[in-house]
Amino acid sequence: MSILPFPSFLDDVKEKGFKKAVFEGIDDSVERLTAGLNVQDLREAFRGETPSRRPNPRLTPHADGFWLHMRPSYFNRDVTGMYPSFRLGWLSTYFVFFETITGILLMLWYTPSPEIAYGDMLTILSNVPLGQLMRDMHRLGAEFMVAVVALHMMRTWITGSYKKPRQFTWFSGLLLLVITGFLSFSGYLLPWDQLALWAVTIGASMAEATPVVGDQVNLLLRGAPELGANGLLRFYLLHVLALPALLFVMTGVHYYKVIIHGHSLPPQKENIGEDSAKRVPLDKRVYFIPDVLTNEMMWLGAVTFIITVLCIWFYHAPLENHADPQVTPLGTTAPWYFLWIQGALKLGDKFFWGVAFPTIALGALALLPYLDVTPSRRFAHRRVMLTLAMLLVSVTTILSYMGLAKFAVQTSAETEIVHELTFEPAHSKVGIGRTIPFDQMIVGAYTTAQLHGREGMSAADIIAEINAETQANGQFAQMLDELKNQHVSANQLPLRFRAIPADEAPKLMQVMQEFEHHLAQEPVELPNVWGALVITDNQAGLKRLDWVVSWDTVQIEGGEVMTDDDGEPVMVYATEEAPMLDEAGEPMLDDDGAPMMQEVTMMDDAGNPIPKRRIYSGHLFIHQESAYFD
Amino acid sequence: MNLLVIRSIESRILTGITMFVGIMILVGWVAINEEARMQAFVRQHTGRSIERGAELYASLCSECHGEEGHGAGDRAPGLNNPHLFGFDPVGEQTAAITTATRTLVRFTEDTDSLLAEFTDADNPPDAERQDEILAQLEELEAQISEQQTLIETAVAERAATLETLDTAVDNGLFPLWDSVVDIETTSDNEVEVFFNNNGTRLAQVGWAGDLQGYVVTTLIHGRPGSARVYPNSTGMAAWSQTAGGPLRQDQIEDLAAYIINWDKGANWTTEDFLAVAQYGKPLADGSLPSEPPPPPAGDNVAGILARWAEMEIVGSPATGELLYDAEFGCTDCHTNGASAPDTVGTATRVRTERLTLPQFAGYTVEQYLVESITRPGDYVVDGYSSGLMPSNFGARMTDQQLADIVAFLLTQE
Repeated sequence: MSILPFPSFLDDVKEKGFKKAVFEGIDDSVERLTAGLNVQDLREAFRGETPSRRPNPRLTPHADGFWLHMRPSYFNRDVTGMYPSFRLGWLSTYFVFFETITGILLMLWYTPSPEIAYGDMLTILSNVPLGQLMRDMHRLGAEFMVAVVALHMMRTWITGSYKKPRQFTWFSGLLLLVITGFLSFSGYLLPWDQLALWAVTIGASMAEATPVVGDQVNLLLRGAPELGANGLLRFYLLHVLALPALLFVMTGVHYYKVIIHGHSLPPQKENIGEDSAKRVPLDKRVYFIPDVLTNEMMWLGAVTFIITVLCIWFYHAPLENHADPQVTPLGTTAPWYFLWIQGALKLGDKFFWGVAFPTIALGALALLPYLDVTPSRRFAHRRVMLTLAMLLVSVTTILSYMGLAKFAVQTSAETEIVHELTFEPAHSKVGIGRTIPFDQMIVGAYTTAQLHGREGMSAADIIAEINAETQANGQFAQMLDELKNQHVSANQLPLRFRAIPADEAPKLMQVMQEFEHHLAQEPVELPNVWGALVITDNQAGLKRLDWVVSWDTVQIEGGEVMTDDDGEPVMVYATEEAPMLDEAGEPMLDDDGAPMMQEVTMMDDAGNPIPKRRIYSGHLFIHQESAYFD
Repeated sequence: MNLLVIRSIESRILTGITMFVGIMILVGWVAINEEARMQAFVRQHTGRSIERGAELYASLCSECHGEEGHGAGDRAPGLNNPHLFGFDPVGEQTAAITTATRTLVRFTEDTDSLLAEFTDADNPPDAERQDEILAQLEELEAQISEQQTLIETAVAERAATLETLDTAVDNGLFPLWDSVVDIETTSDNEVEVFFNNNGTRLAQVGWAGDLQGYVVTTLIHGRPGSARVYPNSTGMAAWSQTAGGPLRQDQIEDLAAYIINWDKGANWTTEDFLAVAQYGKPLADGSLPSEPPPPPAGDNVAGILARWAEMEIVGSPATGELLYDAEFGCTDCHTNGASAPDTVGTATRVRTERLTLPQFAGYTVEQYLVESITRPGDYVVDGYSSGLMPSNFGARMTDQQLADIVAFLLTQE
């Protein structure tokens, strides 16, 4: 007898023999862990056999266990195919867990402080094994999650699954969509790079347009008038605490509602006005264990595998330069899922389009089940709602397109072209100038003038001609002045243009051609234009590329080129100080006896006015080993 | 679409297991390549850091330290400077002389002991041994003369290098040498003495840490200028935000990365040394600053305006434009309104917008501009960040220069 008040394992061994006692002990433990299934039950389930015990032990985990109490014990065969769910709801939940796990791993290496955050990103990328993979997965998962949740909503709309009795399920789902958007958005700020700072600055400034409370909401969110230490901390807490808490609670509510009402059947599978989701005929029942369970485990593997492959070969989370409130990247955009608001903002009033319009849109979505109360879920009976769905997709797409930087943002032609060549790496793109391989950056001055006109001449002759022209009319000297102002060392200034070394540096040639192509697109704003690239050595392994645009000035007002009555652009002419002459041709003197001066337009030898030449430049430093977005 | 649904349980389990094994293989494959990837990232990022440092250097530092880091004579030392990186122009020869001398001593000792053995009366070597000793002595003699030649060559080269430096000093390359060297010596070898005493810049200033630390610390806190060496310098401003300057820590590190990238390691030459204006160069016209330079304008706005009236200082817009664009680099920021108000329209905006503000009641346009240049922190235009504009322009400009710039800005309608 045992000294314990109940039979011990040893008593069991004495009574039944060692082998039997061990097997029974294992069986018992398995049954406790699975909340109802013993080894034999599991074996039968995974072999696809019918259960040998009665009552069906595969239902007990749903009744007695925690994890499966929020999953139905069986489904209708009609909802287990790819249609009608497309696995979108399941995928959304998958991403909740996927993001939580990868996010916690990243949290280990992260401190929400503007002084440290960017350095932490560098540490994750340079000193944490698998750190880059985790970051890529977290970022890609976040983008996918927003898309999947939005598609899930669209599917629910199309199959009419929001109708009675699922109105509240729809509403909780809509909340989840909004939370997902904000979760993804709040995560944008955390790396504290340029992308983070500016995407969030734009996003947060939308809130500013709200009347009365706008400033307060914005202040509350940022913790200071400018995004800084407080703002980062607040976004961090939103991202890792407040929003996930809300998300988990709402996910629970949403799942609970799904259990209560069942998965809605494809519209054509049930009678109009009837909800038969909970009445599943015996022959249509597909049990969670083992069918749906194995299916979901398989998908779990498949989706994770796909994301892993994408993150290894096809996607890397971008890390731009350190956040800099002083340097606004040209063409900053909000994250893609908020682009539609940015597009709407270009339509007019900041409050109406930035706040009222999204609120009305979301409000209309929330009220959808109460506005569309027709009983039928059949496609043929829901032409208006399906049209509206397509309209929503189209409008969002068009507005998102309008949100892109290239739409209706005015910048002068020369700024735009030089920006195209030199912009700071952003949105996974680098300036064209950066695409020239380092060994093809051959020191010298090159001009796009070499590339147009002048048929039948050798490159050397063309360059000689250009050199003679630009030296004579002072344009070359003007370029040198501009370079000096931009701190190019006087020792390094070029003496003349060289022919572009197309054989040694094909990519350099290609970029110059692209430069020329861009300049040629602007004959009105940039008349008689030429571009130049001046490559100088700066340090060992470091070159400097100066991009210069030189053109005749035209009058521009409000971003538009002024034209005269004939539709020709109005030129601006160079002027100089000249003594005023009286009728006799004598210089006029002022009271002190000094000659009186006036501004006169300069004329060339043929008596034509000389246009005022303008010059603009931008530059890049390029280090041999630097790389972005690799 | 329904092809994606796998009907049989076995196939699902098999597919799922394959996927999980696949994930493990992929992650394992990534893991074994992590070391190389992380090293590559470090290199890429160092390159990025140097690029951004170059950008900052060109716009903020090149004015005083020179575009190529060779110094700007009367203002600040060169940083692309062998001495900063610990290059001793005669170091190689000195080392060669030392090594050869040691070898020479060893050979001489060997010769002595062989001679002692050869002439030992008590225990004379036999004939065979005598031949052996004579052969060895002959060999040693050749080696000794070889080392002597080596030493002579190195000594000659060393003397030549020192001569080059001495000549450079005599010709006024380092006109303020005496005040720097600060040694009482009547000998001709003051250059040699200097390098013996101050092998590197860090040793010269008595810095116990490494070069990175020296550069970063100087960038953060700035340093006082030496009036003896740089009569036109008011010292280096503190650049880091932690010390009241405009730069963030990551920018300080970018700048340091750029400066340290000048290091040529073992490839520095005496020519590099001669290219640097480390100890104050003659002014552009070749003269030394004999008279004390005009005092800076300072930041007492009322005082400045009073002096202008009293001394009849009138600005020239043309000179002002040059100063504004190049000398003080104002257009680096004041160019398109992105980081600072645009230059174009300054006068109009001051007259029609700023002076209507209550705190500027009674100001003249000149007064507003002088205050904005010399005391940029007192008022920052809405929409721009404070602390961005260096606050030491008053200390860097003379009254005349300030008046020129104000005159230029008054033409910007």
